[in-house]
Amino acid sequence: MIDQSAVGTELAPVSFPIDRSKLAELAKSFGDDDPVWWDPDAAQTAGFDGIPATPTVTVLISHWRSGGVTGLTQAIGADLARVLHGEVAWEYLAPVRAGDELTARQVIKDVSTREGRRGGAMTFITIDTEFTNQRGELAVRRTDTLIERGA
Amino acid sequence: MSATDTAVVPAAPVALLEGDTLSLKVGPLGRTDFVRYAGASGDFHPLHHDEVYAREAGFPSVFGMGMLHGGILGLHLARWVGPVNIRTFSIRFTGQVWPGDELEVTAQVERVHEIEGVRVADLRLAVTRQTGDEAIRGSAVAVVA
Repeated sequence: MIDQSAVGTELAPVSFPIDRSKLAELAKSFGDDDPVWWDPDAAQTAGFDGIPATPTVTVLISHWRSGGVTGLTQAIGADLARVLHGEVAWEYLAPVRAGDELTARQVIKDVSTREGRRGGAMTFITIDTEFTNQRGELAVRRTDTLIERGA
Repeated sequence: MSATDTAVVPAAPVALLEGDTLSLKVGPLGRTDFVRYAGASGDFHPLHHDEVYAREAGFPSVFGMGMLHGGILGLHLARWVGPVNIRTFSIRFTGQVWPGDELEVTAQVERVHEIEGVRVADLRLAVTRQTGDEAIRGSAVAVVA
């Protein structure tokens, strides 16, 4: 059970590489076999400065946080079996390319409870993440809302 | 699952006008797609691959990660407007995607305007199941020509 006392909690920072093997896996998992997402020559031919990433690339952090997504749920004190993803918003401030190294700083921004449509309290957990690249530039700002269903 | 698009992914901003739309079908999605995305993304939440766990948690079966169809929506948005031209992307998960679902990905230009001398498009996005139920409602802002 997570409550308001968690607001302001900072999670341990995580650094992770944007490597082209994982970019290829990600594109292929979305059903796209276009080499522009992993091949430097294909990206250059298409006019890109480096291999571009798809908009949800910051998910790759899950490979690097201890325990992955389940580790995150435990870190914020929520019950894994009852947690669903509600919303995500990204703001892109600098391009993310293959070869980048991102460092994520995450903070629990808000915790609120309201009555669910089918009864039972639902807890909404907002997590803000800032992803900074190897040049120290803020590249992506991401906000997630997780929902813990009532027990 | 296959949605390979033969068009070149644009690097430079694309000319878009109010009312322009993108619509394409994806799927059907199955458990193999969920598992493949688990490996690609690192999301090993058991609700998405462990049938016994999902049933015990009160669901009829495993279901797709929101970030799978969210990622598919993002990919096709990127293929349309160019990955480096997206300024913001927001999605709300409004319903689950179940094994066997066929999805429609749609994007529509609501408005083209200027922010600090840069031409941008406000886009309305959705992922809809074959039943007509919406799985994602979203929006994006992209730099356009």
